[in-house]
Amino acid sequence: MKVGLVSPYDYTHAGGVTEHIRHLGYWLRQLGHEVRTFAPSSRREAETEIPDFYRIGRVFPLRVNDSVARITLSFHLARRVREILERERFDVLHFHEPLMPALPLTLLPWRHAPHVGTFHAFATSNIGYYYGRSILRGYIRHLQATIAVSEPARDFVRHYFPELHPHVIPNGVDTERFRPGLPPIRHLRDDCVNVLFVGRLEKRKGLRDLLQAYRYLRVRVPRSRLIIAGDGPLRGMVDSFVSKHRLENVVLPGYVPDQVLPRFYNSADIFCAPATGRESFGIVLLEAMASGLPVVATEIPGYMSVVEPGVDSLTVRPKSPIALGEALTVLARDPLLRQRLAARGLVKAQRYAWRVIASQVLEVYQEARRVWREEHLADGASRDSKEVRRVHGPLSGVG
Amino acid sequence: MIQYRAFLAMQWLAQRLPRRWAYALAVVAARIAFVSARRARGALMENLRIALPELGERELRRIARQNFRNHSKAYADLMRLPVARIEDLRPLLKVEGVEYLDQALARRRGVLVVSAHMGSWEVAAAIWSATVAPVSLFAEELEPQELYEWYRRTRARLGISVLPLTRAGLKQVLQALEQGEMVVTAVDRDILGTGIVVDFFGRQARIPDGPAAIALRRGTPLLPVTVYRLPDDTFQAVGYPPIFAEPTGHRVEDVRRITCQLVRRLEEMIREHPDQWHMPHRIWNQAAVAAGSARAASDGSD
Repeated sequence: MKVGLVSPYDYTHAGGVTEHIRHLGYWLRQLGHEVRTFAPSSRREAETEIPDFYRIGRVFPLRVNDSVARITLSFHLARRVREILERERFDVLHFHEPLMPALPLTLLPWRHAPHVGTFHAFATSNIGYYYGRSILRGYIRHLQATIAVSEPARDFVRHYFPELHPHVIPNGVDTERFRPGLPPIRHLRDDCVNVLFVGRLEKRKGLRDLLQAYRYLRVRVPRSRLIIAGDGPLRGMVDSFVSKHRLENVVLPGYVPDQVLPRFYNSADIFCAPATGRESFGIVLLEAMASGLPVVATEIPGYMSVVEPGVDSLTVRPKSPIALGEALTVLARDPLLRQRLAARGLVKAQRYAWRVIASQVLEVYQEARRVWREEHLADGASRDSKEVRRVHGPLSGVG
Repeated sequence: MIQYRAFLAMQWLAQRLPRRWAYALAVVAARIAFVSARRARGALMENLRIALPELGERELRRIARQNFRNHSKAYADLMRLPVARIEDLRPLLKVEGVEYLDQALARRRGVLVVSAHMGSWEVAAAIWSATVAPVSLFAEELEPQELYEWYRRTRARLGISVLPLTRAGLKQVLQALEQGEMVVTAVDRDILGTGIVVDFFGRQARIPDGPAAIALRRGTPLLPVTVYRLPDDTFQAVGYPPIFAEPTGHRVEDVRRITCQLVRRLEEMIREHPDQWHMPHRIWNQAAVAAGSARAASDGSD
């Protein structure tokens, strides 16, 4: 099958959806399919650097959902895209965030191939979806099959478009990259209990709660360390919190390159995900579980669809640093509990292996192609009947 | 603390400037240092005089000035690494003698990469660690402590472990070697003062015997490697044939033999690129050597 993956986000800038597309593309290729990717990019050279990649448009940072979406606002690239689509003749076009401007929205109405749409985002409300409902509904018609990455993401999109019935296919995790037994960063591997956070340093990730919780933990388990892997706008806040409270053993390595990240998971004892909400899916939780780490997470819908509290994780209410600190303390003091949770997490992660996920997505592709053929037949039939009427109409009048 | 603050300020600047500008600044800093840091300059000149006895004073001074400049540029590289992308670094390193690394790795006993304090290890180690195999640096702790912590966490980002020259550090070095990883260490200066006295550029000097001892006990290959800066500010790494330690039953003799073998290789590296041998400390310290030979004598009498 020849598949075109379409993303609204900057392809050369790290992000959840982009990672998803990259992995999906890789595994679709591994399963013997041809894949092309369409996305905007801030790097002009992206098209020559990345194989089978079409760079469509420049990137504008846009503030949404307490975060920054890096999308293109160039609507005028239609011609180039149309040429490519006509030349490539895809069997399936797979849109990620199909209702995002500008790239997916521009491509959707063209009927070059069966369309599949994956909804990633989740929020309590979306003004764009709300006000745009009637317009977007016209676009939704052009999706032959839809996928949501989690139940919250599905409920969210169905809240605005109840006519959609997305399949829930979760994000995958690369279980070959993220696994136990990789060499740790050795100077972080001493007798301390290491708590690891991975993610962009932004408000919705709950960093302040994490720092408060670590303060709570340090009083009770002095041989502990907090590793915050990532960069972002709150870096300064973290630095000043650490120096103001004279918090020891907080390690901020900054943005960790992909090649090294799995070794950070292998340098930790506990993974902590304190996001305050608006996370559609806990990809980092899966990476942690695949690496054999017990998880402490907040009870937000996106995370709860991945973890099973008490089985592979401890969970606490979001925005409650003391509860978070208590959970960390319990785990830091109990190596056996850590082992038990980690073992179950490891088993669970295998169900989310990208190879498994990619074959589930392929089934949806088949469904989309079926629907597309039926629609075409129906289209053709209705056009035929119109023509028949036009030809035979006058005659019958005569008769 | 002031020192560290100054470092952070410089670092803040260096990582925001384009690479060429950062180097330009480094060159200015090197000029100032060459004039003002008299003790460091004196020690370096003394070391170069011993390493290159055939050269005249003017030539040595030129090399020393070049040496300060390269050292300063190496600091600029160090300061820029926290934001560097591996993809951007990779084209900067050319490697010669990879086959020796493969030979050494094939033994599955880890590889102890042995070098001198020279060239620019920062970039090479970063690329290796991210693309070839995990790298640990086994080196003296930097002063002050804050700077060392900064160094450790920015190296961690690149997957490099920074292990101190302590018992705990050594334990982790052995663990890393056991896992088949690479550990990099420099043997041209005996910081702890526990090494053995051998001939180094025709004079007695203390050289750490740890690498030779590990090689003998564990069968770990020793791989001499040098990384130096080319005139266009890219880097050349050169691997030499690995040294496989064969125990003959006489441990003290074996350690001495292998350490001497290593030192011959270091002399070769240093004489090839004396302008990149960043050693502004005295290594031929007469008092220490005397104490060492006294100990050696008493060892012999046992």
